[in-house]
Amino acid sequence: MRTSILVLSLLLSTVCAANESAWDKAHFNYQMFCQGCHTPDGSGANSVPRLKGHVGTFLQTEEGREYLVRVPGSATSSLDNEELAAVLNWILIEFSGDSLAENYEPYKVDEIGRLRRNPLNEVVLYRSKLLADIAHRGDAKQ
Amino acid sequence: MKFLDTLFEQKSRQLAQRSSRRGMLKGLGTLLVGGAAIPLLPVARASAAASKPAEEGDPNSCDYWRYCAIDGFLCGCCGGSANTCPPGTEMSPITWIGTCRNPVDGRNYVISYNDCCGKSSCGACLCQRDEGDRPPYRSDKTNDVNWCLGTSSAVYHCSTAVVVGVAFED
Ligand code: HEC
Repeated sequence: MRTSILVLSLLLSTVCAANESAWDKAHFNYQMFCQGCHTPDGSGANSVPRLKGHVGTFLQTEEGREYLVRVPGSATSSLDNEELAAVLNWILIEFSGDSLAENYEPYKVDEIGRLRRNPLNEVVLYRSKLLADIAHRGDAKQ
Repeated sequence: MKFLDTLFEQKSRQLAQRSSRRGMLKGLGTLLVGGAAIPLLPVARASAAASKPAEEGDPNSCDYWRYCAIDGFLCGCCGGSANTCPPGTEMSPITWIGTCRNPVDGRNYVISYNDCCGKSSCGACLCQRDEGDRPPYRSDKTNDVNWCLGTSSAVYHCSTAVVVGVAFED
């Protein structure tokens, strides 16, 4: 009995340590590859859009979900698929605030690999069209 | 057009707020990395805060450890410091990031080389170490560009070297 509790708690702490390190690694990769433009808290500036309190909105449509991966900053980064998935999931949790639905689906590694093969060239118009679609969808529901 | 964009953005933001009950799950910090859902303890977050390392060396000298990937005038020689902009200039939020090894504890730290902008070039203590600089085909990984973006003036004055975190090592 004792030993199994001990084993269990050992197991649990290993799992927690692993999480912590996955989280730290994702944060580190954000700092190294994204933060220079996106700023430490995701506020952005100038042509760099605000992720903070907003980025989760894109997950309301499939195209929006794909957009976060296909945008050049994500798609053409030197992170591998696994690292990019972790950074995007980190961004969603860290910066979305109320813009992320509770039942959202985090990004999966193979999904990232598939989507980033098709990076966007023209982002600005595409982005405003996406946001317009999302806003209209909301109108229709009400 | 700009106005329309902003409008849509606000709209979708409001909607998002209405349609999501305040993040219960998120509050617990469920992190999904590489396909496995793993709960995250709040302690992990607290420890992520950048710690101030013990340091030695002269921050007004180009061989100071934090300047390993710098290219510019040292703000310490221009009326500011390695962490702060000289009076009358503004720190750019958009910045060049690198890692440098601190000789005191042997650890690598994440350094943010925020430029100070709004006055003409300081001209003192030019320091170009560029260690870890990569070829300029990717704008996010070359420091040979003007990082005075997001400031009211694009005129470059000098560069800081702020410790923003500890590098992740497996
Ligand atoms: C050189 C500056 C730069 C770097 C580095 C950068 N981005 Fe971006 N990012 C931008 C700009 C500018 C936009 C706006 C769209 C565009 O013009 O590409 C953007 C848009 C985005 C968006 C869409 C947000 C929205 O509201 O439309 C996401 C998601 C994103 N970037 C993720 C990342 C990730 C992840 C990284 C790091 C792996 C990264 N970016 C690195 C400049 C950058």
